Amino acid sequence: MTAFNDATGLADWVSRTRAGLTEGRFPARAFNDVDVHALEQERLFAKAWCFLAHESEIPSPGDYVTRKIGNNNLIVARDEHGVIHANLNMCRHRGNVMCKSEMGNASHFRCSYHGWTYKNSGELVGVPYMKEGYEGRLKRKDWGLVAVRVDTYEGLVFGCLDPEGPSLAEYLGGFQFYLDLYLKHGLGGVEVHGPPDHWVADTDWKICAENFAGDGYHTPVAHQWGFHLGYFPSSGTTHSQGWAASIPGKGHGIGLGHGPGYPAFSGFPDQVVAGMKEAMSPEQVAVFSQIRTAVGTVFPNLSFLMQPFSLVPGDPGVRFVTMRLYHPAGPGRMEMYSWCLVPKDAPEDYKAEAYRAYTLAFGQAGTFEQDDFENWTKVTASAGSGLVRDLDFPYIMGMESEPVPEFPGPGHVVRPYVNDTNFRNMWSRWGDYLAGEA
Amino acid sequence: MDEPGIERPPIGDVVELDAEPGDGPIVIANEFVDVVVRKVQTRNGMRLDIWSPRRGSRVLLDAVALDCLSFQEPELISALLQRRPAP
Repeated sequence: MTAFNDATGLADWVSRTRAGLTEGRFPARAFNDVDVHALEQERLFAKAWCFLAHESEIPSPGDYVTRKIGNNNLIVARDEHGVIHANLNMCRHRGNVMCKSEMGNASHFRCSYHGWTYKNSGELVGVPYMKEGYEGRLKRKDWGLVAVRVDTYEGLVFGCLDPEGPSLAEYLGGFQFYLDLYLKHGLGGVEVHGPPDHWVADTDWKICAENFAGDGYHTPVAHQWGFHLGYFPSSGTTHSQGWAASIPGKGHGIGLGHGPGYPAFSGFPDQVVAGMKEAMSPEQVAVFSQIRTAVGTVFPNLSFLMQPFSLVPGDPGVRFVTMRLYHPAGPGRMEMYSWCLVPKDAPEDYKAEAYRAYTLAFGQAGTFEQDDFENWTKVTASAGSGLVRDLDFPYIMGMESEPVPEFPGPGHVVRPYVNDTNFRNMWSRWGDYLAGEA
Repeated sequence: MDEPGIERPPIGDVVELDAEPGDGPIVIANEFVDVVVRKVQTRNGMRLDIWSPRRGSRVLLDAVALDCLSFQEPELISALLQRRPAP
């Protein structure tokens, strides 16, 4: 890896940005800048645990998907013994891409350039004209695909390019308590409902990651039609109620919107609620049963949302979960992945309804998604213009918030749900990485 | 280990898909290769006909051979590919 070249004075900018955060300021430049993007590639995505896939996307031996961490293209494959591997999607002979399809099933990957063939675990097995051409000088064991660390939590497969970094459990740092709200919908857990929606947008990945770290503030404005037409069971007068929870020093955050008078776990079938109560701890059930909307981000770029949504205006909402990954494709540009998660053991008719509710609200044609991307692309465009490069945005909401002492979940938990605390924590961690201190 | 028995025949002498009727064909394909699989009747019993259109090679496996394959470790296939992965 090449050393960071600070010809642009970015180190000073990072230092000023970190100092500004303590006073509730964050610079617009961060959201669309070629040097910031390069520094993120080198110092953030090269070191953080990044989401790759859900185990249910590759359930059988030989199943694979291709995903990215930063600018690295990876094959995430389940080998013939059921073990999940992540390897650089590049032939070690001359660097050709091994898997050109986004998903598939193969016991072996064979390069289309010179025919080097690898097991789906990444070991090199086949070299054409091995005896004639290499005269015994090539050792197959030295030229397998480049392996990346992988670890899992409740079906989520993460990868880390840094062999020396912390464990995944340490990296998550207690955020697992909140992740369980999306993942422990019964003892069987959850599964993806079909392949992800996948598209490219002129949006910086960080805007989306921040929004899903708990931006309840935008919902009654950006998505007001959902309130007014009866698709979304909340109102402007009560929408701010709830909690903002973040894990200090880790960057993860979740907004827990509380719906006053809203029935516990409403929108889930009874069978799923029973499964959740069995799979979660009593403390989790006590908190999560009160939640209408849960929107959270695993730093840096994996997010979740759970909320009820009505298929017909005025009808009871159907509770759905979406999981999304914001892959940085360039300064101010992003590849978006969006999945619907459903309880594995749930009735099929509920899975279909939850997917319909998800599709109506999210995915590339989803109504909420359209609202968001209209705003996010405009923010990104603004951030790239000359005059705004030295401007800060205010992140002072909740600067004086005191932690809620009786809250049973870990981390720093404040009221109300509408609060900038999670965002300051996220940007603080981002600053740690960009300064080379994480 | 001996070299595998199936070599690519010279151009102009590739094996064509047998025109004899049988069950199938089933095409098994991924982004790396494709094969055509059929169950075929011989005079004295069934065999599985595996035909590779790109390579022009073909093998007929009877029940004993298929049974044998069913209990092999995946490493055997990797070992065969090690001997002759392509072309």
